Amino acid sequence: MSAESNLFFEDTVFVCDRTTQEEVFTEIANKLSLKNYVAPAFLENIIEREKGYPTGMDMSVVDPELPSFAVPHTEVEFVHTRRIVPVKLTTPVEWHSMIDPSQTFPVSFLFMILNDDKEAQVGILAKIMDFVNALGTDRVKELFSMTDAKAIYQFLVDNFPAD
Amino acid sequence: MIKVLAACGAGVNSSHQIKDAIESEFKNRGYNLHCDAVMIKDVNEEMLSQYDIFAQIAKTDFGFEVKTPIVDAGPILYRMPAMAKPVYDKIEAIIKEKGLN
Repeated sequence: MSAESNLFFEDTVFVCDRTTQEEVFTEIANKLSLKNYVAPAFLENIIEREKGYPTGMDMSVVDPELPSFAVPHTEVEFVHTRRIVPVKLTTPVEWHSMIDPSQTFPVSFLFMILNDDKEAQVGILAKIMDFVNALGTDRVKELFSMTDAKAIYQFLVDNFPAD
Repeated sequence: MIKVLAACGAGVNSSHQIKDAIESEFKNRGYNLHCDAVMIKDVNEEMLSQYDIFAQIAKTDFGFEVKTPIVDAGPILYRMPAMAKPVYDKIEAIIKEKGLN
């Protein structure tokens, strides 16, 4: 599978050692902005959106051993590309649940969704959920424990269903 | 036609996943159902009044009384049939109770 055939690209896989949500977003948004993948207002929008409508997926309801993750994203107008940006957080960061925002849990991996095409973006979140469910607890743990961006990229290219 | 409204923060991804899942499931169950996906900040009392069911992801305080029946549709996002089924069953129960079909 070529990089162009899926939703992952080697230049947008990150390992981040920041310890708060805002610091994580700032670091990743700055990197994405330098490559012109996002608009200048992306950072402000993703911080505000996450406060109002959090994106943590509490996977313990599926399997207590399955690590939770988050799927931050913004409205299409702040994005200039279509891809999933994986971010490994070396220090787990507390995240609020999408389904019950009063709940928080530690997250060590983000699938940040960038998409500039509202019509085409149907299904990216579904693909992420299908991928995690199909991968199984042990292999999800393996992916989420990786701290090398190239290894994360290769794992995803090898295992994520083609777009 | 049964009209369902799904809403999420960006009006994409989560709400569209719920829209697709509900439309697909209710086509299989033999209902004529259409679901719209919108940004939650665009939802107002007048918009909600035009729908039969509001499929919310998280509990939402709109600042007005929601008269449209509400279903907590968040479990659909997990893409696990066993988690989604109670959501679909609740929607179907509202459809039958209200005689919407």
